[in-house]
Amino acid sequence: MIELFHGGPAGHSASVLIALAEKGLAFESRPLDLATFEQHGEAFLAVNAAGQVPVLREEHRSLTESFFILLYLDERYPDPPLDGVDARVRYLTQKWGKYVETHIAPNLAIYAWAKRGAAPGKDALAGFARLPLERRALWRRAAEGFAEAEVEAARAALVKAIGRIAESLADGPWLARDRYGIADIAVFPHVARLSGLGFDLPASVVDWLGRIAARRQVCEALGDTGLPADITPTMGPERGRWG
Amino acid sequence: MLDVYTWEPNANSGKPLLCLKEKQVSFNYHYIDMGVREHFSPEYLAINPDGTIPAVVHDGFVMTESTPIMEYIDDRFDGPRLRPEDPYWRWRMRQVMRYMDNIVAPSLAMLASNRLAAPRFRGADPEELKRELDKIPLPERRAAWEKLMFDKTDAVDLEESARRVAQAIGRFEALLTETPWLAGHDYSLADINVMATFHSLPASAPDQVSEAATPRLWDWLRRCHARPGLQQAFALGKGLIGARVAETRATLGVAEGAAA
Repeated sequence: MIELFHGGPAGHSASVLIALAEKGLAFESRPLDLATFEQHGEAFLAVNAAGQVPVLREEHRSLTESFFILLYLDERYPDPPLDGVDARVRYLTQKWGKYVETHIAPNLAIYAWAKRGAAPGKDALAGFARLPLERRALWRRAAEGFAEAEVEAARAALVKAIGRIAESLADGPWLARDRYGIADIAVFPHVARLSGLGFDLPASVVDWLGRIAARRQVCEALGDTGLPADITPTMGPERGRWG
Repeated sequence: MLDVYTWEPNANSGKPLLCLKEKQVSFNYHYIDMGVREHFSPEYLAINPDGTIPAVVHDGFVMTESTPIMEYIDDRFDGPRLRPEDPYWRWRMRQVMRYMDNIVAPSLAMLASNRLAAPRFRGADPEELKRELDKIPLPERRAAWEKLMFDKTDAVDLEESARRVAQAIGRFEALLTETPWLAGHDYSLADINVMATFHSLPASAPDQVSEAATPRLWDWLRRCHARPGLQQAFALGKGLIGARVAETRATLGVAEGAAA
């Protein structure tokens, strides 16, 4: 039986919830409340010391990193397939996975955190202190508040990401060309938040988001509320320290 | 037609070279001299507008992300399989590569370039250096080169990088107690990815890596360096990498000669 620790239908957790629905896989749901930083509590740190969701458990093995979980699910449960039949398409999928993890998600977290403007409370700070060094450093910086230049760099990176998505959609209806799959599932939950944060999206990107949101499996995964408009951002990974 | 545009068989630049030689796939090697920043030249930017190396072009399909390129090479070409069949071990292989790509390799790059490249910019005309910086397309790459050219890397950052490299040595030693290779019972992309950056660890971290201190990592280095594919790939180097690797093989007691 698959067990999924997740933060509800948002961000990286939403991608894995969608993939499970697309594959028609039953699972034990273990939701955590990211608004109260439950992922930094002792109980969850015993599951993942980095204090990050989602974590997928199967056969006593715990898997982290949402994009790698998506690849794992597709390799282990190949029907219906969620990756391309061609090596080129699979390259594009991997490229998007890396781009979401190292560019889109961390910049979105910084930008959304700065827009919220709320300082974390005492319990949240106590949770940060329990994290491993790198994760703790990220949250400490968030707690101190990001410098304007950092927020601006995050905004510029997101504008660039929107451009790259639009460019890719000019080559085909989905991010990895002809077929809907892992690349779309990995990118969708993050980009779906951008209009709400005041970013202008080109018509092709709005259309792509709409086509994903309209899928029966996506509606099923996101539940009655759909993607929440306001979520507590989760930091990381750190942006490149050396280019 | 398979064209590889890259620098030495080292770090990201080396990944496609090491994979292709392992699988015995023939390709055209276009040497991009990073030392004179040829990857920011208009000719190279026409191939990869981001100005990062490597770029691999297969029948007109341009690829610029080094780790996805490794998976593509294994996916697309004949030769020994370099990824585990089992989805769980594939996940493990990808985690090792991610740790290397995001945390360890950039730390070693920061340390090595500050030691080797930064001194070359001392005394250079700052206006000239600024013009060079303006040619770099990606802001994150520009920031790293600016630190390098103007000797502005914080001591705290260098220290943190050293800590991360040391931690990685410990983690890999631990992984190798579990299985003979970094992602299971067979040599995989994880081993190649780590070798691309850690090939000369006995020389770059002699205090931390030795037969006594890290016996499993030492043995792994020996087994990797004895592979003909790797020896051939490292022999492609035109500059310091080839010599450095030959020296490492001697330290490890690995015989030369597998290189074609």
